[in-house]
Amino acid sequence: MPGPAIRFRNVNVSLGGHSILSDVSFDVAAGEVHCIVGPNGGGKTTLVRALLGQAPFDGKIELEGVANPVIGYAPQSLDLDRTLPFTVLDVLAVMNQRRPAFLGRSTVGMAEQDAMLRRVGLEKKSKRLFGFLSGGERQRLLFAQALLPRPDLLIMDESTSNMDDEGARLVEKMVGEASDAGTTVLWVNHDLEQVCRVARTATAVSRRILSHGAPRTTLAVRSFSEQRA
Amino acid sequence: MNTLYAAIRAGFEGLANWGLLPSALHFQFVGNAVIAALVIGPLLGMLGTMVVVKRMAFFSQAIGNAALTGVSIGVLLGESNSSPYVSTFAFCIIFGLVLRYTQQRTSLSSDVLIGVFLSISLAIGASLLLFVSARMNTHVLENILFGSILTVSPLDLNILLAVAAICFVVGGVFYNRMLLSSFSPSLAEARGVPVRLIEYTFVLLITLVTVACVKIVGAVLVEALLVIPAAAARNVSRSIREFVFYSVGFATVACLLGIIVPMQYNVPVPSGGAIILVAASFFAITALLRNLLPAFRVAT
Repeated sequence: MPGPAIRFRNVNVSLGGHSILSDVSFDVAAGEVHCIVGPNGGGKTTLVRALLGQAPFDGKIELEGVANPVIGYAPQSLDLDRTLPFTVLDVLAVMNQRRPAFLGRSTVGMAEQDAMLRRVGLEKKSKRLFGFLSGGERQRLLFAQALLPRPDLLIMDESTSNMDDEGARLVEKMVGEASDAGTTVLWVNHDLEQVCRVARTATAVSRRILSHGAPRTTLAVRSFSEQRA
Repeated sequence: MNTLYAAIRAGFEGLANWGLLPSALHFQFVGNAVIAALVIGPLLGMLGTMVVVKRMAFFSQAIGNAALTGVSIGVLLGESNSSPYVSTFAFCIIFGLVLRYTQQRTSLSSDVLIGVFLSISLAIGASLLLFVSARMNTHVLENILFGSILTVSPLDLNILLAVAAICFVVGGVFYNRMLLSSFSPSLAEARGVPVRLIEYTFVLLITLVTVACVKIVGAVLVEALLVIPAAAARNVSRSIREFVFYSVGFATVACLLGIIVPMQYNVPVPSGGAIILVAASFFAITALLRNLLPAFRVAT
């Protein structure tokens, strides 16, 4: 069953008297991989925060087709003090279970978590402190948790920006598999070549919409750079 | 409940008679204080880990100082000198919620805003104390500031147990969600966590605990017992399980030693000061262990 379609209609976001997003309207079809690109400070993350209910906005953002969709979100990073004694498994427990993490892992979903750690190459680091992971490994973990449980809508915010090539390719493959299984994917991404590889459609945002459509034709690296300039 | 407290105290006395517990436990008020310590230690130990993770040490200090103002208001309004709980709970809850509300709606950094609120609260409390001091003797004032085991009554224990029950249930059920909402509010929101409600709930828990513990630890020092055991635990922990259990252990032992040792050896220090000094010694020892022994050097 495909995930929800997303409809952004005349979305406006202002923070501290400054307009961050102005009259942003576009659609993301159910089950497709859609990338949002644009320059730093262009409002991409704010758009995601508005979608998640974390930023006040005018206009409409609607999820259609699935009642109470499961949303997976892979943030750029966690605001977690690196010296805190939280292992990889602790972080997954905090995110995925109701039982207090300090009482140990819940057996519910444990097999899926272990399998996901294996999939993203972190199974041998499951007892390592989160603060000891490299930037790329942390992003692998954040991506892994977003797929637990299997989401109807997967939102990713520059999820491969610190990964090596192998990690980025793995994420691309897993995103493709999730999309094939029906998950709608909204991916904020700076890597335009990656966007061309993975996305069916893309939207360039810099306060307002610069362009929207198939990535290879409308968001080619050169033309996007020219618009940004 | 009084029967239960009496039975527990009788148990302490019996063990003291056999030489298994310190002789100070023959005194009823020490028995009450030890019962309180056995509740306060685990409670503050568990909540303290959240305070450290959420970087809210300064916030809990502000609540502790607000308790001083709450006590003053209570005495001025005619509540009992020894247990002005209604005014203290009311003032601290309003103070905590207004502070949190303002934090979410200002561009000022958190520490600056808390500093402002803390100063205002302390100024009001200090001003009111001038009026209040005419209605109570200096010892009562010292007890409020630095804690005293002499004044722990069955009413105090009842309130402490009620607050502990609320905090253990709510804190336990929402522990993961409270942590997650501080790691990444957006991620928490995506996972269906009502972030704002959770944040206000945490503020309420901290406020309730602070007020309920003022009698034992004192308004000035109660925040330290939220922070120091958890900070000591962090020094030597390698997982969230160790972090919480060490923190609970350090807080409980600090409370027990801080109450019993001064009584047993006639050391004239207030219970709050003694408890915090014991907790601080745990912090010093664990900080040394962390720096000296590679096995404890868990994070850099």
